[in-house]
Amino acid sequence: MGELKLAQGGGKSERERVRWLGHEILPHEQDVRAWLRRSLVTSNDVDDVIQESYCRLANLKAVEQIESPRAYFFQTARSVVLEQMRRARIVRIDAVTEIDALRIEWDEPSPERIAGGRKELERVMKIVATLPERSRRIFEMRRVLGLSQKEIARQLGVSENVVENEAARGLKAVLAGLAKADANVAPSSTGERRA
Amino acid sequence: MSREASTEIDAAAANWAARLDANVISASDQAALDDWLAGDSRREGALWRARAVMALMVEPMPQTQTHRAPAKPDRRVLLGGMGLAAAVAAGVVLTPILSRQRYRTLVGEIRRVPLADGSMAAINTDTTLDIRFQKAERAVILDQGEAWFQVAKDRARPFVVAAGDVRVQAVGTAFSVRRKSGGAEVRVTEGVVEVWSDKGAGKMRRRVAAGEQVFVSDQAGASSPVKRPLEMDRALSWREGQIVLDGDTIGAAAAEFNRYNNRKIVIVDPDLEGRTVVGWFRTNEPESFAQAVGVAHDASVKVGADVIMLGGAG
Repeated sequence: MGELKLAQGGGKSERERVRWLGHEILPHEQDVRAWLRRSLVTSNDVDDVIQESYCRLANLKAVEQIESPRAYFFQTARSVVLEQMRRARIVRIDAVTEIDALRIEWDEPSPERIAGGRKELERVMKIVATLPERSRRIFEMRRVLGLSQKEIARQLGVSENVVENEAARGLKAVLAGLAKADANVAPSSTGERRA
Repeated sequence: MSREASTEIDAAAANWAARLDANVISASDQAALDDWLAGDSRREGALWRARAVMALMVEPMPQTQTHRAPAKPDRRVLLGGMGLAAAVAAGVVLTPILSRQRYRTLVGEIRRVPLADGSMAAINTDTTLDIRFQKAERAVILDQGEAWFQVAKDRARPFVVAAGDVRVQAVGTAFSVRRKSGGAEVRVTEGVVEVWSDKGAGKMRRRVAAGEQVFVSDQAGASSPVKRPLEMDRALSWREGQIVLDGDTIGAAAAEFNRYNNRKIVIVDPDLEGRTVVGWFRTNEPESFAQAVGVAHDASVKVGADVIMLGGAG
């Protein structure tokens, strides 16, 4: 922690870590959230654990040796929860038993999850499609044409600030959308085992 | 207990991620960011997550792993053995291929890819593109579909696109090639290109300048280039995922949407086909187009799972 270097564009290793998080961790966030939701009280707690887990995963010295990022994500989230419980003075008894009972769905990802990154990207793009026109256009110009925010501002005839704000607004909507329970996934604990 | 809500953290993280994406971090920004991060480790986690999502949203073609043929061996230098055997089978003999790549886009997919020489290709829906960069020539094979190229200057190594028998050669310029039956359509957005066909009568080369478009037939070669500077942007708006219609017939417009979507527009009422439309749509929203036509021409619109029916008994 605290060693994050955020200079212009970021260093190569930083960009690689961002990529790794996006491609190897993010696709499993839904499942980790669903798993946490079954044992934790509020969605706020779930968000806390997710944020804390990302912080730890991002600060790992090396990630290349991690064979199953999915399993690693589950384990990290689990240890975050256990630590929080240890710190808390009052712990719901059932929470403790639950977190143990809920051990480990990570070795059986649902068939959809195997498609992994691509599926997640589709999910992201679906949310992007619901954004207001201007926001959508900015992300499209970034992605399809590879234009920078600065170039986009020039092409659209608006200030760079406008583009940045619009991008931030769109990103917020996507982050919030990704945190929501997927309507297609049944909230029961057997939800992922449908054949 | 005034613990910051995680949703607030996410919102602030999104602001920082957008600022980082803008690439304009001042010293005071950096100080503010450091302060913010120091307050709570959840913030750092939220920022990493926001940046990971942002990267997914703006990466040129993040799903490449699924269709790009060889995932890693970008640079395949043929030194013999299997490599050479494969090259002989492919009809490429004794020319070491420095960089080889195959791209295939699905219906509706539009992808922008940087090429090994610094050039850029925007690949339109349902297209197959083979990139074979060699020492003396940068060869690109367009088996089907359409692509636009911004070519990096390299006088020693011409950039040649082959679409069927049609050839388009550039040194440093930007142009698009669309494979059609019996030939290819070429639009030049910058500089000059030379076009010809590899078949008999078409071998005579013809120069096509910026703002011009030309149809090159496999058999007969290039027809006269037509100056269409204003049409150029419109015809290439697919690069931004858009279809711009300006007095096009409904029949032609529907065919254009059908290039991008598996859900096809079917015009039931033949009277409708020849009428014209003006509008600005997204390639993947044939419904909006159909609805617009329905309103403008008082036609019925039936949106089904596989087809959108325009006109006919309401």
